[in-house]
Amino acid sequence: MATASETTLVTTHNESGTKWWTRFLDPSERTLGVLLLMPAALLLTLIIVYPVCRLIWTSFQNLSLTSGVPATFAGLENYSLMLEDPVFWETTWNTVLITLITVPGALLVGLALALMANLPFNVKWPVRLSLLIPWALPLSFAGLIFAWFFHSEYGVVNDVLRRIGIEGVIWFNSANWAFAAICLTIIWKTSSFMALIILAGLQTIPRSLYEAADVDGAGRLRQFFEITLPLLKPAIVVALIFRTITALQTFDIPFTMTRGGPGTSTATLAMYIHQNTVDFLDLGYGSALAVVMFALSMGVTAVYLRMIRAKG
Amino acid sequence: MSSVSFRKLEKNYGALRIVKGIDLEIADREFVVLVGPSGCGKSTTLRMLAGLESISGGEIRIGERVVNKLPPRERDIAMVFQDYALYPHKTVYENMAFSLKVRGIPSAEIKPRITQAAEMLGITQLLERKPSQLSGGQRQRVAMGRAIVRRPQVFLFDEPLSNLDAKLRGQVRTEIKRLHQAIGTTIIYVTHDQVEAMTLADRIVILKGGEIEQVGTPDEVYNSPASVFVGGFIGSPAMNFAKGTIRNGQVMFEDGAGIPLPSRSAGKTGDHDGREVVVGIRPEHFVPAGEGHALSGRVQVVEPLGSDTLIHFALGSSTLTARVAPEMRPSPGENLSIGVDPSRIHLFDAATERAIA
Repeated sequence: MATASETTLVTTHNESGTKWWTRFLDPSERTLGVLLLMPAALLLTLIIVYPVCRLIWTSFQNLSLTSGVPATFAGLENYSLMLEDPVFWETTWNTVLITLITVPGALLVGLALALMANLPFNVKWPVRLSLLIPWALPLSFAGLIFAWFFHSEYGVVNDVLRRIGIEGVIWFNSANWAFAAICLTIIWKTSSFMALIILAGLQTIPRSLYEAADVDGAGRLRQFFEITLPLLKPAIVVALIFRTITALQTFDIPFTMTRGGPGTSTATLAMYIHQNTVDFLDLGYGSALAVVMFALSMGVTAVYLRMIRAKG
Repeated sequence: MSSVSFRKLEKNYGALRIVKGIDLEIADREFVVLVGPSGCGKSTTLRMLAGLESISGGEIRIGERVVNKLPPRERDIAMVFQDYALYPHKTVYENMAFSLKVRGIPSAEIKPRITQAAEMLGITQLLERKPSQLSGGQRQRVAMGRAIVRRPQVFLFDEPLSNLDAKLRGQVRTEIKRLHQAIGTTIIYVTHDQVEAMTLADRIVILKGGEIEQVGTPDEVYNSPASVFVGGFIGSPAMNFAKGTIRNGQVMFEDGAGIPLPSRSAGKTGDHDGREVVVGIRPEHFVPAGEGHALSGRVQVVEPLGSDTLIHFALGSSTLTARVAPEMRPSPGENLSIGVDPSRIHLFDAATERAIA
């Protein structure tokens, strides 16, 4: 039997004699963990961390591809320009307004759809499929379809309004009506996503809770407010995080429906970023705008996450 | 508190008949256990009584009221579910208070009721916790507490101990029994565990395939099983069954051994003379060879349990189990001579499997 000192000697000898390739072939748990994470970490660095860092760096530069001048360090110049830019404020306000209207709107419609889809239908797939279709449709398609729906002469919406005796509206000539049409389209397009997440949440609520509530004497409405809604909170928060972030990045639907018009009354921050970087090739200013949008998204996510933690 | 009665109660799912015309009268303050294997219709029967399942035929009465069409909240029952069904986002207090609030009982009355129930169940210190912060046994007690505060006419328990480990099951079982003794409300309890049925029930209802196989006190179903099914279902280890033939006042086993018919069978076995029967012997009713009519078999397996020993041995084409004194330790392969008290054997018709004696 080896003594303690012999064991120590053997161990020391083994450690000093270990080659790097032996450690690589027979790694410790920690090394193995690092090695296994490495590909994903590298990929994330390449496609997320690097572009974000590059974006932030570019936002501190004067970099306009139309000027023919090499990029120069501009410090906070792009940001100070932004503060004086009325279009920035207008598009930011439009973005916030779209978020404030369409996120709760989609939540309410999505909740109603999820509750309907959760009813005990004998054949469930047509209901689920009808929920999936708007979600699966590309945003720009939805924008084009609804642009036709809201067309002042040939649109379904005005046709229906006329049939029930209401004068049709020239939707895209008025800032308010155009904005309303965009919001309705976004709610239609995104409520199915909300519904799918809420439906998944609904299906995790055990049936026995409703049976217990039945026995306890609670009616349907009370069961909804006392059981369904509180237990759906985690699913709703997740849906809200995703939806709010995408709402802050709204681009496709207003772009395909109104191109931001009339004027810039329905343009969003994402459209303004697109205009500066793609149309005007002003990468420095466009990047500064994008950093603001990025910060806005991060801020909202942080608030939601804090809410989740606070609710415990 | 109230009586309950089922008259020709039926439940069908399309062509599938789950409950096939159950007739049962449960007296006020009685503790009745519905027991049977999976799919026998026991939980469905309880759920029909609770109003959680519609009934396909027959009648359910709670007290004098026919409750067939009444929603659960109007039946004045409380139910303890298999998974406890505690509201996970509410504290223990809120869980217990929920049904009282829903019924518009003033807060001033709710608090003392909950305090009293919590004290009775020893959960006073848990009132501010959420269900996720409780152990299985504590959740079980809270579920009972939620039922107690309602002061319903009937308590329903749907396999309430099946999610607990064996030790805790024993403890909670005792608590349920104590609870019934304390409050005296009618309890209808569903389980597939015959030990729970035997220990808790005033009367046991044994169900098989949607029909009642036997109703009786624990002693009655243990000592006088109405069928092979009941004999095999009640008792642990299960009753042994061996083929035999009645001949000249004796039951003859396949290996030629014979034991006299039990005296209680006098006059009941005449028609069966010369016919095959199923002989039922409980493992605990074997006695040392010298004290009864001896049977011989080859020992297959010996299981020492400390308090006693289980010996599995072959008798003809059957394998029987005997529960004997702990010091009796034959070896596998050895010939075993073991006695049977003729008064403790059970005879069943081989064709109908119903009890003869």
